[in-house]
Amino acid sequence: MNRFREALFILLLAFILQSCAGWAKSKDYYPFDASGLDKLIPGKSTAAEVTEMLGAPSKIVKLSNGNAYIYRRSFSKGTGLWLILVTFVNYDKHYDQIVIFFDKKNIMTHYGVTLDAHKAAYGFPF
Amino acid sequence: MVFPFRISPFLIYLFIVGNLLTGCVSYRFIKATEGRSVSDALEEFQAGKTTLQEALETLGAPDQVAELEGKDVLIYQRSLLSNSGLSFGIPLTDILGSSFSFSAHGSLVRHDLLLLLFTPDGTLSEIFSEKGSRYPYLKAILSDKKGN
Repeated sequence: MNRFREALFILLLAFILQSCAGWAKSKDYYPFDASGLDKLIPGKSTAAEVTEMLGAPSKIVKLSNGNAYIYRRSFSKGTGLWLILVTFVNYDKHYDQIVIFFDKKNIMTHYGVTLDAHKAAYGFPF
Repeated sequence: MVFPFRISPFLIYLFIVGNLLTGCVSYRFIKATEGRSVSDALEEFQAGKTTLQEALETLGAPDQVAELEGKDVLIYQRSLLSNSGLSFGIPLTDILGSSFSFSAHGSLVRHDLLLLLFTPDGTLSEIFSEKGSRYPYLKAILSDKKGN
């Protein structure tokens, strides 16, 4: 009888452990470096100086009084938990973004920076 | 060898039922969040006073930039996807010739949006804000009204 219970216990344990967990991360990577942005001076720095520092922008948008250069990269993390009957998946995606505004003479007027990509986190959806 | 654990009949029952049901009943819940939380800037900013520089310092880089009828639009957004599905079935085809199965799936994307419109001289002219995430998942997905 004890052997039967032992076998049953092992089977029960194997059944309970029939679960799986997974982690994943992905990057949409553009190698711009935001640390030198302090050197850019609104009203003086040109588009050429900006592209020399940050490289080619991901996107250029025409605005009413000039252009905006957009630098963007993303970082995402995913977590999955597959239990016997239940599946939970969580996906978190954040961005590093720099948007630089130029006037019609290609002189920088403003810029905005958001460096949030590192905030992507593993977790559960509840 | 004396087995140190006592197994209750309930656990055995659970084991058998669980095995029988594996693959027949399943529930799935997926959540995907994209972007940072959107600030409720309606109180912080004032049309006609706030400048583009102040908005960029407060909110950071916008997610999208566009021109609209001579004005510049800054868009800050976050999207929240919730996807859930429940399926239940009993494979009786070999015995009865047909099977019973039931499934329900739902997918909902809610958006938090903040739109700031600036005049060409960089002064805020209009603000639009919507927090889609404040609507509960079930209430939003079961509602058949547009926008509710």
